[in-house]
Amino acid sequence: MYFNNLEQLMLMGGHGPYVWSAFAVTIAALVWLVLAPIINHRALLKDVARDLQREQARQASTRSQPDISEESI
Amino acid sequence: MKVFSNWQWFHRLGSPRWFYQTTGRWLPWLSVATLLVLIIGLVWGLAYAPADAKQGNSFRIIYIHVPASFLALAGYYIMAIAGAVGLIWRMKLSFMVMKAAAPIGAVLTFIALFTGAVWGKPTWGTYWVWDARITSMLILLFLYAGVMALQYAYHSVDAASKAGAILALVGTVNIPIIYKSVDWWYTLHQPATIKLTSAPSMHPDMFQPLLVMILGFYLFYALVLILNTRSEILRRERKTGWVRELAQSKSGFDARAGD
Repeated sequence: MYFNNLEQLMLMGGHGPYVWSAFAVTIAALVWLVLAPIINHRALLKDVARDLQREQARQASTRSQPDISEESI
Repeated sequence: MKVFSNWQWFHRLGSPRWFYQTTGRWLPWLSVATLLVLIIGLVWGLAYAPADAKQGNSFRIIYIHVPASFLALAGYYIMAIAGAVGLIWRMKLSFMVMKAAAPIGAVLTFIALFTGAVWGKPTWGTYWVWDARITSMLILLFLYAGVMALQYAYHSVDAASKAGAILALVGTVNIPIIYKSVDWWYTLHQPATIKLTSAPSMHPDMFQPLLVMILGFYLFYALVLILNTRSEILRRERKTGWVRELAQSKSGFDARAGD
């Protein structure tokens, strides 16, 4: 390591606040870039699955009605 | 072996479903590679590279500033080319890539500007100057934001895509201005550290971690572009059979249970 100890690595000869804040903001921005599409992707799949379930419930209820009417005729 | 006709690869490349399935197989490898390269580059640059003789340790910001700036510019080409391909061949997937590239480019440009400002304080004594390089980078940020805004400004997806592509193409005039700004005008910003035509103006001990970080940012860009494009594909194709099947298999309930 270039620095003698961890404290010097944090201080960076007085430039610590600049260097570490630049890296922290960058890492936070990069993490957000990765997480946003992953969260979005999951939500979309869930949404499509819920729509499908609803559609089936509706189909099931409309399908049972003509059956009854047929029988009654 | 099956022989593909001349244009078959092109049509397959244009299929959102094919793109989604193929990139799905790449994602685990790409994620691991990206994370590894970035961690190696960060530790190397922050803790092991020697400090700069003039700038001291503040120069370590270069390890994120330069890669982010590189990808902010390269990403603009990708966005503009994707837009052009969409306009010329009416390829929907290409427009999706364009839309996916805009927010990544915007965040990378923001990182370039932010780290530049933080680096400027101990080096130049100021966070911000209206010099040619910095101002043209700010314009790049607005161009990315413009393409993003246009995606939501229209009811028709097609109109939004075309408008975004045209803005992206017009904005490419800004790219050579950014590259050349440090040579054309007298600026506070230092000239390019890395040039294709000459040796880097940096000691190898400092230069090697920079190369690792640039590679890491390229991998990261590819990863996030793929992730964003896949989300966009799902969003636009949600009514199609294959997305429904996918949603069904992921959610664990059987859609055909009632049949």
